[in-house]
Amino acid sequence: MPDTIGLPDRELKKGSAELLVLSLVDARARHGYEIAKLIESRSGGTLRFNIASLYPLLYRLEKRGWIRGRWVEKPSQRRRRYYRLTPTGRKVLAAQRSGWRNFVAAIERITSLEHA
Amino acid sequence: MPDDPSAPSPRWQEAVDRRLAALGVPPLRRVEIIDEVAQHVEDRYDELKADGRSDDEARRVALADVEGPRLAREIARSERAPTLNPPVLGGPRRSFMGNLSQDVRYALRSMRQNPVFSAIVIGTLALAIGANVAIFSVTDTAMLRPFSYPQIDRMIALNEQTRAGQPMSISWPDFQDWVAQNQVFEHLGIYRPAAVNLTSGGQPERINGAMASSGVFGAAGIPPAMGRSLQPGDDRAGAARVAVLSDRLWRARFNADRDIVGRAIVINGEPHTVVGVMPAGMRFPSRLTDVWLPLGPAIETFPPRGAHPGLFGVGRLKPGVSFDRAQADMDTVARRIESQFPDSNGGVAVAMIPYYEQIVASIRPMLFMLLGAVGFVLLIGCANLANLMLARAERRQPEIALRAALGAERRRIIQQLLTESLLLSLIGGALGVLLAWWTISLLAASHPTTIPRIDQLAIDRRVLLFSVLLSMLTGIVFGLVPAIRGSATDLVKSLAHAGRGVGVGRSRRFRSALVVAEVALALTLLVGAGLMIRSFVNLTAIDPGFDPENVVTMRVTLPPSKYEDRARWTAFHDELVRRVAAIPGVVTAGLNSALPLEGGGSESPVIAEGQELPTRGKPGTMCLFQATSPDYLKAMSVPLLEGRFFTTHDTSMSARVVIVDDTLVKKLFGNADPIGKRIAFEITGMHERPQPIWREVVGVVRHVRHYGLTSEPPFVQVYVPVDQLPIWFDERRPAMAIVARTTLSPEAITGSVRREIASIDPDIPIYGVQTMEQYVSQTVEQPRLGVVLLGGFGALALLLALMGIYGVVSSSVASRTQEIGIRMALGATRHSVLRLVLGHALALVVTGVVLGVAAALALTSILRNLLYQVSDRDPATFVAIALALVAVGILASAVPARRATRVDPIEALRVG
Repeated sequence: MPDTIGLPDRELKKGSAELLVLSLVDARARHGYEIAKLIESRSGGTLRFNIASLYPLLYRLEKRGWIRGRWVEKPSQRRRRYYRLTPTGRKVLAAQRSGWRNFVAAIERITSLEHA
Repeated sequence: MPDDPSAPSPRWQEAVDRRLAALGVPPLRRVEIIDEVAQHVEDRYDELKADGRSDDEARRVALADVEGPRLAREIARSERAPTLNPPVLGGPRRSFMGNLSQDVRYALRSMRQNPVFSAIVIGTLALAIGANVAIFSVTDTAMLRPFSYPQIDRMIALNEQTRAGQPMSISWPDFQDWVAQNQVFEHLGIYRPAAVNLTSGGQPERINGAMASSGVFGAAGIPPAMGRSLQPGDDRAGAARVAVLSDRLWRARFNADRDIVGRAIVINGEPHTVVGVMPAGMRFPSRLTDVWLPLGPAIETFPPRGAHPGLFGVGRLKPGVSFDRAQADMDTVARRIESQFPDSNGGVAVAMIPYYEQIVASIRPMLFMLLGAVGFVLLIGCANLANLMLARAERRQPEIALRAALGAERRRIIQQLLTESLLLSLIGGALGVLLAWWTISLLAASHPTTIPRIDQLAIDRRVLLFSVLLSMLTGIVFGLVPAIRGSATDLVKSLAHAGRGVGVGRSRRFRSALVVAEVALALTLLVGAGLMIRSFVNLTAIDPGFDPENVVTMRVTLPPSKYEDRARWTAFHDELVRRVAAIPGVVTAGLNSALPLEGGGSESPVIAEGQELPTRGKPGTMCLFQATSPDYLKAMSVPLLEGRFFTTHDTSMSARVVIVDDTLVKKLFGNADPIGKRIAFEITGMHERPQPIWREVVGVVRHVRHYGLTSEPPFVQVYVPVDQLPIWFDERRPAMAIVARTTLSPEAITGSVRREIASIDPDIPIYGVQTMEQYVSQTVEQPRLGVVLLGGFGALALLLALMGIYGVVSSSVASRTQEIGIRMALGATRHSVLRLVLGHALALVVTGVVLGVAAALALTSILRNLLYQVSDRDPATFVAIALALVAVGILASAVPARRATRVDPIEALRVG
């Protein structure tokens, strides 16, 4: 099962996965299942995170201090761990977003050049 | 469905818990993780059920995600090493140390991923750094490390010399005048090295000693460890016989006895009172000096002004007095003595040299040459590694570009790449230190005699510090350019070119330049090694005039007190040589007062009958004279050219005879037959009425090299029978050398000789046991060391150059695969492809060779003084080495060139 987009580089996979997770917890706190569902639905099913990719990544990001998880009990719902972006995480996200845009733009330039 | 709505159902918790059995995290954290994952699984299950799946199927699909060991492994990893492998360098601000530890981990991982690459890099570094560390440690030991003498720059060695610069020892009355008129030295001492017989309890032993004035201790500036050193009172005639011991002798011979001061020991048959022990740092005049004896008791025996009885001076300059000022002052003193005693001191000057210079002068050119050579090896190694790192940086370009795109600062990327090369060079350096340690152990085990303080050679703190600094510098030198180049990313280009490998042109040019530099450096080094080897071959081809094989020599000195009587002295030696010759296994045995290659002995002017007597101004021909037993020349296999050897009939009662060498015949007789003619080298009454003592020439032998293989002064040689001792030996009898041509080992013959001597006189020790081959090998010790080391470094340089050329050519072939494919598709033959690749490689090599020849021409002049009968611009060596390097270049590019010819055009184009 593909757990990220099909780019060749391992580092890149991680980089993009982080970017996705950080983006999703930017606006508001979300729990793991929600994050996985959002990635899948918003990518139209192209990207899918399984448990073995998602949770280790969340724990790593948390250890690095980019996100923080808290157990939240909402009425009539079960106890879930919600992750929220930290101030450090926000800076990282900004840096990664701009890097990513450059990257995508570059890819675009190249691929359009190749097909010109 | 669970009853408690706030927790996932126990069913899911148990299922997840079972599957994550081996998580290895603290229990509380484990509960948390299982809760969270179980919740996820349950959410998924609920969703699947809602989609209308059956219970079994929903359960199976939901749990599929947690099956297998991967989840547990991944979680455990992220829990264990939270800072490991952050994919984006420089995203968050980190501390320097945080960056460092991250970079080190990253570097270690990338080393593990490329074990062959890492092994090549580390191996190269270990060899190059090891060579540098070894030579540095020898240089440091021999001349850089502080000497045990405080302010050694104030220590000056003195002797007398003729105006023409011929060195002499110091005349005793002259020295007394120096002391009286001295204004520049704080201490001024005089000494004479002398081996002495120490008898204390049982075996007699020959030890190295020195007769020294109190000024010697002042000049050395080292206080005694126990008791006192020699004092001015010991310098006066009639002073008591006392002795100062070396630290080594005190420990080895007297078991470090703390009560030694005041005890009597027997030296040369006379009791001496030990007054002190010097610390280990006192190694003057030689590191082997074990006992210092006072001047006073010997003063009466010193000859008058004009005679130079083997005394040498040492002084310590007053603070603030420069060497030049001291020299000027002593020149004045010498001129004053000269005008006062023109007869004896006409043309006698004072020679001074800083003591440090005296110690290091003979070894310094060699060490500097070797330091230069290992520096070259390291530079070649760096060029090689820079090349490898650049090639790798090119391969990594897409990855690095991406990192940069994802926000890594360039500085951080450089830092990380540099960390990698630093780590490699530190590991290589550590191995290099091991190699160096091994090398210098080998060197020390060969007991070289020409390297100062070789007994102290070790990898110490200074050498380790040097190694660390050198390793770090090396890592920066070979890593910096690749790091800068590698970090200068152009994402568009690097991704566009990824996989196609059309390298950045600038980088390719830089790598070619590195190979050119490498070849040039290797050529320079190899030319140096080649010259040294040719010189060494010349050196070993020198005919010493005798056959050193199977000849064992040893010395014996009779104490003058017991053997004052000449007849007794002669009788001892006659008996000795008779007994040694009778030892089974000894073919021939003889005695001589001087040993070949040992540095000469006693010289005097010599004339043939009818020629003008020598005068002080015109000494004429000088000869080395030797007292010899009948079979000495036979034992040494010195060829007899005319006449006869001595026999037992040449005694004190028979006619005075002499054997001369062929150089004497040429100088004194020209083409005339010398046999039966008379010569004289013993001339009494030189000043008033010269009286030559004539001897008849009975034999002519080949000239024997006495002063060294290469530096033979133009002295002719004469031999006289030991029973007809030259008058010059009346005052001071020579220590005779026993020479035995034998099939026995040196140890075996020494034992036998020792027993024979003991049966004549048990108080006489033998010493200086050596084979004649050892004498020969000692005189070529430094050249041999130079050849072995420089040859080794040259070979290393050649190997590195080979690797460098191979690396560049093969990576160029790899990156031109497409081009080559197109060429072949367009009809290029394999032959023309081969020419293309080889041509490129040869262009690099030839450029390097041309530059190297230019550099070598400029640099080999520093070898001039180390070369024997080879020009430092020897064309044969230059041409041979240049051709050899071109051959190596072709060899190194042959494999990649052949690979290029096998390019399949279809494949090559498809890759593009």
